[in-house]
Amino acid sequence: MTSKRLLSAYVVVMMVFLALPIAVVIPSAFSAGSDLSFPPQGFSLKWFAAILERPAILAAAWNSAAIAVVATAVSLVVGTLSAFALRRYRFPGRAALATLFMTPLVFPAIVLAAAIAMVLAPLGLIRTFQGLVLAHIVIVLPYVVRTVSATLAEIDKAWEEAALTLGASPWEGFRTITLPLLRPGLVAGATFSLIISFDEFTISLFLVGSGMMTLPIEMYNYAEFSLDPTLAAVSTLLILLTTLAVLAVERTVGLGKQFA
Amino acid sequence: MSTNAKGVSLAGIVKWYGKVQAVRGVDLDVAPGEMVSLLGPSGCGKTTTLRMIAGLEVPDAGEIRIGDARANDVPPWKRNIGMVFQNYALFPHKTVAENIAYGLVMRRLPRAEIATRVADAMRQVQLSGLDDRVPSQLSGGQRQRVALARALVTRPDVLLFDEPLAALDRKLREQMQVEIRQLQRAVGITTIFVTHDQDEALTLSDRIVVMEGGRIVQSGTPGEIYERPGSHFVSDFIGMMNALRATVLGREGDGRLRVRMEPGGRELLVTGPAGMDAGAAVELMLRPEKVRLNPPAAPGTIEATGTVAHVVYLGPVTYLHVRTADGVLIAMLPNAEGGGAQPRQGEAVSIGWRAADMVCFAPPDDA
Repeated sequence: MTSKRLLSAYVVVMMVFLALPIAVVIPSAFSAGSDLSFPPQGFSLKWFAAILERPAILAAAWNSAAIAVVATAVSLVVGTLSAFALRRYRFPGRAALATLFMTPLVFPAIVLAAAIAMVLAPLGLIRTFQGLVLAHIVIVLPYVVRTVSATLAEIDKAWEEAALTLGASPWEGFRTITLPLLRPGLVAGATFSLIISFDEFTISLFLVGSGMMTLPIEMYNYAEFSLDPTLAAVSTLLILLTTLAVLAVERTVGLGKQFA
Repeated sequence: MSTNAKGVSLAGIVKWYGKVQAVRGVDLDVAPGEMVSLLGPSGCGKTTTLRMIAGLEVPDAGEIRIGDARANDVPPWKRNIGMVFQNYALFPHKTVAENIAYGLVMRRLPRAEIATRVADAMRQVQLSGLDDRVPSQLSGGQRQRVALARALVTRPDVLLFDEPLAALDRKLREQMQVEIRQLQRAVGITTIFVTHDQDEALTLSDRIVVMEGGRIVQSGTPGEIYERPGSHFVSDFIGMMNALRATVLGREGDGRLRVRMEPGGRELLVTGPAGMDAGAAVELMLRPEKVRLNPPAAPGTIEATGTVAHVVYLGPVTYLHVRTADGVLIAMLPNAEGGGAQPRQGEAVSIGWRAADMVCFAPPDDA
C-alpha cells in the first residue's frame, strides 16, 4: 500500500514539475500589470491586444508559419518517398541511409546549425526565406520518415499486389490503397513537422537577420529589451494552437500508434 | 458469370532470386477450364511459379502464354487474372462491397453494372447482406468468400490461388475446398491452385502437379499421382506408404521387373520404370489400404504372416503395424460392421496384397 502511495505521489510531483512553466505563463498573459511576473496582478486581455501593435512579432509569426508549411509540404513528399525506399526495397547502403535520415534527431543542434550556415552562406541563402526552408526541411524530415515508415510497416504488400491483379496500375493502386492507409502516418508526421519547424530556435538563429526573422527569435530579441506580458500572451496562443493540433491528431488517427 | 476460359502454358520457366534458382525450368500446360494444383513443400517453387503467371514476378527465362498471347511482358494489371492470396489480402479500409467492386471500378464499368455484378457475386458466395461490413468484422470463412468473389467478379481468364485455406481450421477448410471446387466447375474457369496440403490437392484438382526443388517431378490426375507415384518423394508427400527395399534381378519379356525383396528374399514381378538394370536397388511402394487381412487366395496375391507390433485406432480406420519376414508393413483396415474387433497387439495375423498394387521406383538419395 505504501509503495503504491509513494508511486502516486511521485507521479503527481513529476506532472506538476513538467506543467509548472505552462501554469505560470498562461496566468501571466492575463495580467493587468506591466511586468512579466508571477503571480499576475489583476485580469486583462490588453497584452493580447498589444501583440497586434508589434509589427515585428506579427511579421515573424507570418514567416514562421510560411516556413513551417513549405518545409512540411516538401518533407511529406520527400519523406514518404524515402520511407518507401527504406521499407520496401533492399539495396546496398540501405542501413547507412536509414541512419543518416535520423541523424538530425540526435546531432547537437548547434553543430548542425553551424554546418548549415557554412553551406548556405556561400550560396547567398543566409537571411532568406528559401535558406530557412531548406534548413527546416533537414530538421523535420526525420519525423516524417519515422511516422510514415511506422505506418508503412503495417501496410501489407499483398494489398498492393491484390490491387495490381485486379487491374489497378501501380499509381492507381498507390492512390486507392496505399495512400489512404498511409494517411494516419502522414497526418501525424505533418503535425510534428509543423510544430517542430515553428518552434525551431538554434538553427534559425544562424540564418535569420533583419528583414527575415522567425517568431521564436523575435520573441527572444523582444525579451532582451522589454519584459512585459506580451511574450506570455504570444506563448499562450502558441500553447493553445499546439494543443489543438495534437488533440486533432489524437482524435483522427491516434498518436499512440505513431510512437508506440 | 460467362465463361471465357483460356489455357495457360509455361515453357522453360526459370527464376533466380539473387544466387538462388527458385524455379529451374518449368513446363506446364493448363487446358481451358482445367483446375490444376501445384503441390509441394515450402521452397519448391510453386508460389514463385504462380506469381509469375500473375505477373507479380518476371521470369528470367522461358515463356508464359495465357490463351494465345505471350504474357511475359504484360504487367499484372493488364493480364485479366483473378488471384486469391494467402491471408486473403482484403483491403482493410474498404467494405465488403467496395472490396468486391474494386476490380470493376478499375475497369471503369458503369456504376449500375458494377452494383449488379457485385450483388450477383455476393449472392454466389452467400455473402448477401454483408455489404457494409469491413474485413476486420468478418470470420475467416467470410473473408475467404469475399476474396473469392473479388477475384471472380471481373470475369478473369485465369483464377490463381496462393494457399488460400492455410489459415482456416480443418473443418472450415474442407468445407471451403468443396465450395471452391463447385464454384470453379460452375464458372468453368481455368484455375491454378498452390498448396502444400495433399488432401486439398486431391479434393480440388483435375490434375496435380507435384513440385520439388524448383522443378515439376510429376503431373497427373489425383488418382494417377496417388496410385502410381513416380518417385519416393511423390509417394511420400501424398498419403502414407509402405516403403520396401528390393533388388532388380532382371526384366521379363512383358516388360515387368523381377525383383527380390529385402529382407525376406521373396521374389516377385512388378511394373517398373525403364532404365532399371539387374542389380539395381529399388524401392517398392505399397499403400496401407491395399494390404488386406486374411486375404482370399487368388493369383497375383502375395501372402505374408506376422505379428501385430502396434495398433493405431483412428475412428473410421485402424492402422495395424505387422512385423513379417518381409519387414514391417502397415495395413489400413476399415472399422465397419458394428465396430467389429480388430486384431490386438501381439496377435499373429495373415496379410496379403496384390503385386500389381506395388509401385517400383529408385530409392531416395539419402538411403
